[in-house]
Amino acid sequence: MGVKSKQARNLATGLAFLAPNIVGVLVFTVLPVLFSIMLAFSNWDLRRHNMFKDEALDFVGFDNFVRLVTEADFLRFLGNTLFLMMGIPFAIAGALCSALLLSKDLRAGGGRPYIWLLASAGLIVSTVLLVVSGMGGTGMVILLSGLACGVLVAGVAGGTTVYRTLFYTPHFTAGVATFLLWKKLYDPYEGPINTGLAPVLNHVSDGVNALPPVLTRSASWLCLALAALLFLWALRRLRLSWVDGDLGWAAGLVPVALLCVPGAVAQIWHHTAGRALWLGAAVAIAAAWQGARVAARGKDFDSSAMNGIGSGLVVATAAMVGQFVLVGLSALLYALPELAADGLEPPRWIHEYHWAKPSIMIMGLWGAIGSNNMLLYLAALTNVPQELYEAADIDGAGRFQRFWNVTWPQLAPTTFFITVMSMIGGLQGGFEMARTMTKGGPAGATTTLSYFIYLEGFETGRLSFASAVAWALFILVFSVTLFNWKFGNRYVND
Amino acid sequence: MKYLFVATCVILVLLSVGTLLSFPNARTEVPVLYWVTDPNPAREEQVAIFHRWLINSGYGEEVVLRTTEDVAAFRGRNWTPAMREAIETAEANGDAGRLWAAPPGEGALPITVRAPLYELRVDSANRDVSKMVIQGVSGVGGDIMDINSGSGMRYFHSVGLLRDVTEAGKRLGFDPTQTFAAMEPELTLDGRQYGFPCNVALGMFWVNRATLKKFGQPMPPERWTFEEFERLGKAFVEAANPPGERQTVFYASSGHLEVMYRSLGLSMFNESLTRCALDDERFLRCIKLLYKWTYEDHILPSSAERDSFDTQSGYGGAVLQLFNRGNYALFPMGRYALIQLRKFGPLDVGVVELPHGGFPNAFTTTRAAAVYVGGDRQELAEYFLGYLASEDYNMQIVRDADALTPNPRYAETEEFLRPEDYPNEWGAHEAFIRAENTIAIGGAYSPYVLHSVAGRLTRDAVDGFMNDRLTAEEATAQAAFRVNAEIRRTLEENPGLRAQYAEDEALQEQIEESRRAGRPVPVSWIGNPFHRRYYLWKGWAYDDANGRGEAPGVAPE
Repeated sequence: MGVKSKQARNLATGLAFLAPNIVGVLVFTVLPVLFSIMLAFSNWDLRRHNMFKDEALDFVGFDNFVRLVTEADFLRFLGNTLFLMMGIPFAIAGALCSALLLSKDLRAGGGRPYIWLLASAGLIVSTVLLVVSGMGGTGMVILLSGLACGVLVAGVAGGTTVYRTLFYTPHFTAGVATFLLWKKLYDPYEGPINTGLAPVLNHVSDGVNALPPVLTRSASWLCLALAALLFLWALRRLRLSWVDGDLGWAAGLVPVALLCVPGAVAQIWHHTAGRALWLGAAVAIAAAWQGARVAARGKDFDSSAMNGIGSGLVVATAAMVGQFVLVGLSALLYALPELAADGLEPPRWIHEYHWAKPSIMIMGLWGAIGSNNMLLYLAALTNVPQELYEAADIDGAGRFQRFWNVTWPQLAPTTFFITVMSMIGGLQGGFEMARTMTKGGPAGATTTLSYFIYLEGFETGRLSFASAVAWALFILVFSVTLFNWKFGNRYVND
Repeated sequence: MKYLFVATCVILVLLSVGTLLSFPNARTEVPVLYWVTDPNPAREEQVAIFHRWLINSGYGEEVVLRTTEDVAAFRGRNWTPAMREAIETAEANGDAGRLWAAPPGEGALPITVRAPLYELRVDSANRDVSKMVIQGVSGVGGDIMDINSGSGMRYFHSVGLLRDVTEAGKRLGFDPTQTFAAMEPELTLDGRQYGFPCNVALGMFWVNRATLKKFGQPMPPERWTFEEFERLGKAFVEAANPPGERQTVFYASSGHLEVMYRSLGLSMFNESLTRCALDDERFLRCIKLLYKWTYEDHILPSSAERDSFDTQSGYGGAVLQLFNRGNYALFPMGRYALIQLRKFGPLDVGVVELPHGGFPNAFTTTRAAAVYVGGDRQELAEYFLGYLASEDYNMQIVRDADALTPNPRYAETEEFLRPEDYPNEWGAHEAFIRAENTIAIGGAYSPYVLHSVAGRLTRDAVDGFMNDRLTAEEATAQAAFRVNAEIRRTLEENPGLRAQYAEDEALQEQIEESRRAGRPVPVSWIGNPFHRRYYLWKGWAYDDANGRGEAPGVAPE
C-alpha cells in the first residue's frame, strides 16, 4: 500500500512538472491542428463567420479539396514549389562536399608556411588582376575578393574550426536578414554579382561573336546528344538492376517515367521544340532497344514487384536533373550567337520571371551548404570505421573509389534522413523568401504553397480554403515521407 | 523535489505580478483607448493635441479645488504623464492647470481644473492588416484603427469590424460633408459612414525645377497629355544621360496605370461594379504605353532599376532622395512628400497633374480612422473622429504638410497655401487643392471582389506582360478573366450577395441599353464613382434627385 501510494505521489509530481509543457502542446499545437481539420471541411470565411456575424457555419464536405484540383493557382504554385525543390539534390551534394572539406585538417603547421605566403600572394594578385581587367572599378568586388582571401588566410591559420564556423554562419543568421542581403546581391545594376558578371559576359560575348555560329550550334546539338546518352545510361542501369533482381517490375515504372520527363518537356518548350524531335527520337530508340533486350534476355533473379524502388528513384532523379541541365544548356548554346550579337546582359535575377526561381534556388543552395545537413554529415563522417578505409587501401582503392565504395554507403542513413527532412522543408518552405524578397512575383513566379496559404487565409479571409491547402500540403508531405520510409529505408539498409 | 516545484511556482507567480505592476501606467485615472496607427513621430504630437482638445471642448471632468488639501488630493490621483501634460497645457485650464509646475497658494483658491475624458495611446506595433483583422475578430482590436482607402474600409466592414458612425458624425461634426466630396467612396458604404480621414492623399507629379533647368528642359504644363509627356520625357532623358553610359537619370520615377486608363474613360469595373472591364482596348493601350516608356523610351525606370536605386529609407523609399539628387525629374506622390522633402532644404519644386488621354483625373484616397465595433468604449472613440475634423488637428496637418487636411476649410488658409517658412513651395499647395476639388476621384470598389485581390490579379497579369511572358492582349484578357472568376467565386460562396448582384446586373443592362439608344441615365443608377463622374462629364447621365454625393467641378476642362 505504502509503495503504491509513493508511486502515485511520484507520478503526480512528475505530471505536475510536465503539466506546463503538456498543456502548452495541447492548447497551442494539438487543438489548433484538430480545429484546422474541421475548418478544411467547412465554409469558414472570416468575412462571414466571426464573433460579429450571425451567419451559420456550414459543413461543405470535400468542396474545398475539389476546388484545389480545379484551382489554377493551386496547381501553379504547387508547380513553383516542386520546381524550387529541384535544388534539393544540389543542396545535399553541397552539404556533403562542404562536410568532406571540413573534415580535413587545413591548419598550416610549422612545416607549411608556404600556404601563408600563397594565400597572401593570392590576395594581392587577384586584386591586381581584377583592377587590370576592369573589374576593380567597384569597391564591392575588391572587398568581396579581399574578404574571400581573408577567409582563406584565417582558415589556414585557425584550421577547420574557422571554416566550420564560417560555413555554419548562414544557419544561425536570421532568415529575413539574409534574404535582404541577397536582395542587394541580386541588384541587377549595383549588386556585386552583376557587377562581377558584366565584364565576364562582355568577354564571353566578344569570344562568341568571334566564333563561327556553327560551333555553338554544334555544342548545342552535343548537349542534346549527351542528354540522350544520359537517358540511355540510366535506362540501361535500371534494366541491369531488373535483370539482377534488384528492381521489381512495378518499382521500375516510376523511374522510367521520370526519365522520360525531360524529353517530353523539351518537345513542348518553345526554346527546344522542333530540334528536340531528335532527342525524342533518340530516346525512343534507346527505350526500344532496352525494351527489346528486356524481352529477349529476361530476368536472372526473381524479385517482388516493388523491390528496389528507392535505388531506382535515386538513379532516375539524378539522370532527370542531369538531362534537364543539358537540355537547358543546349537551348542556351543554340541562342547564344543571337544573344551575344548585341552583347550579353547579366540576368535581372529576382526581377525577371524566368530567373526568379533559379535565383531563389541559388540562395537556398548557399544556405543549405552550411546548414544542419553539413553538421549531420560531419558527424556521420567521424563514425565511418577506419578499418574500412584501411581495407580499401590494402585493396588499392584510389581516392574516388574510397569515397564511392566506403564513405558514400556508410553515409546512406544520414543521406536518407537529410533527404526526407529536405523534402519536407522544401514542400513547406518559401514563405519568408516570397514575403520579404519578391512578394511572390514577378507574375507569381515565386509564390509557393506556403505563401498561397497566407494569401488565402489573411488576404481574402477564406480560412477554410487555406486550411484545405494546408492539409493538402500535409498529405503531400506525409505521402512523400511515407514513400521514403517504405522504400528508401530498405535502400539504406541494403 | 515537490518543494522545489512549489517554490518555482511561487517565484514565477510573484514575478508575473511584478511584471504586471511594472507596466507603464497600469493604473490610470481615466479610461485608456488605443489608436492603431503607423509609427510616425507626428502621432505623439497629434495625441497630445487631442488630449488638450478634449479639455478645451469640454469633454472631460471638471473639478473645483477649494483648499490646498483638494489640490494635493487632485495631484495625488493616478495621472499619467500624458494626462498631466494635457491638464497643465490646455488653454481652457489656463494657469489653473499648472498644479505641478506652480501649485496655487491658499489665496488663489478656489480654482476649476478640467481633465480629459480619456487617454489615447498610440499602438504602432499592430498596424499590419492581417494582425488588425485577426485581433479584431478575436475581440481584442484597437479602439480606433487607421484604415487605408475605401478598399480597406470595405474589407474591414465585410468582416464586421467597423462601427457605423453616421449618427455620431452628424452629432460631433465629422459627417462626410466635413471633408472633400471625392472622399465619399472612401468613407461611406450604402449611405452609411464608417470613418473619417486622418489625411487626404492625392497623387500628383512633383517636379524638380532645378533638375529640369540643369539639363535645359522646360517645366511641364500643369495639365498635359500622354503625347506631351512622352515628347518632353524623351527630350529630357536624351539631354540628361551621356550616350554609351548606363542610364541613371529618368524623367519620372513611375507612372500611374489606373489614372492612365481612367483618363481614357475606363475603370477597373463596369458601371454597376459587377464585372471587371479591363479586357478593353484602352487598358491594352495603357500597358503598351507603360512598356514603351519603360523599355523603349526609358522615360521611366523598370522595376529592377527602381529596386536598384531603392534603399527603403523613409516614406516612398529612396524616391525622394533620388528626386532631390536629380535622378528623377518628376515623381508621383501626395502632398505628404513634403515631410521628407523639407529635410533636404529649400528645393525648387512645382506640382503638375499626371498626364491624361482625354479625361484629366487624379487618384485620391485617405488614411481614415474608424471605430472598432468590439471596443468597450466605442462612444468615447467617436470623439477622436470629431477631433479629426477640428481646427486643432487640421492645423497640425497644415504645419506638418502631412497630405491634405481632412477638413477642406483649413486647406484654404494662408498657412496652408503659402507657408511663411517655405516660399519655395508656394503654388504647389494650390495645385493639390485645385485638383482635389476638380479632378480627384476615389477608388472603384466592387462589393463582389476584394480590391486587394483584384489588384494582385491585375498586377500579376501586367507583370507577365512587362516580363515578356504574356502579350499585351493576353495580359488584358487574363486580368479580366481572373478578376471575374474571383467575382463568380464570391457569389458561389456567399449566397447572400446573389440577390444584390442580380439587381446590379439588371441595372447594368438598363445602363447599356440606354447608352446604345443614346439616352442619358440617372446618375443614381451608377455605382462606380469613376463612371458617375465620367458619365456626367460626357453628358451621358443626369443628376437625378436621388443621386449620390458628387464632387463639385464635374467636368475637367
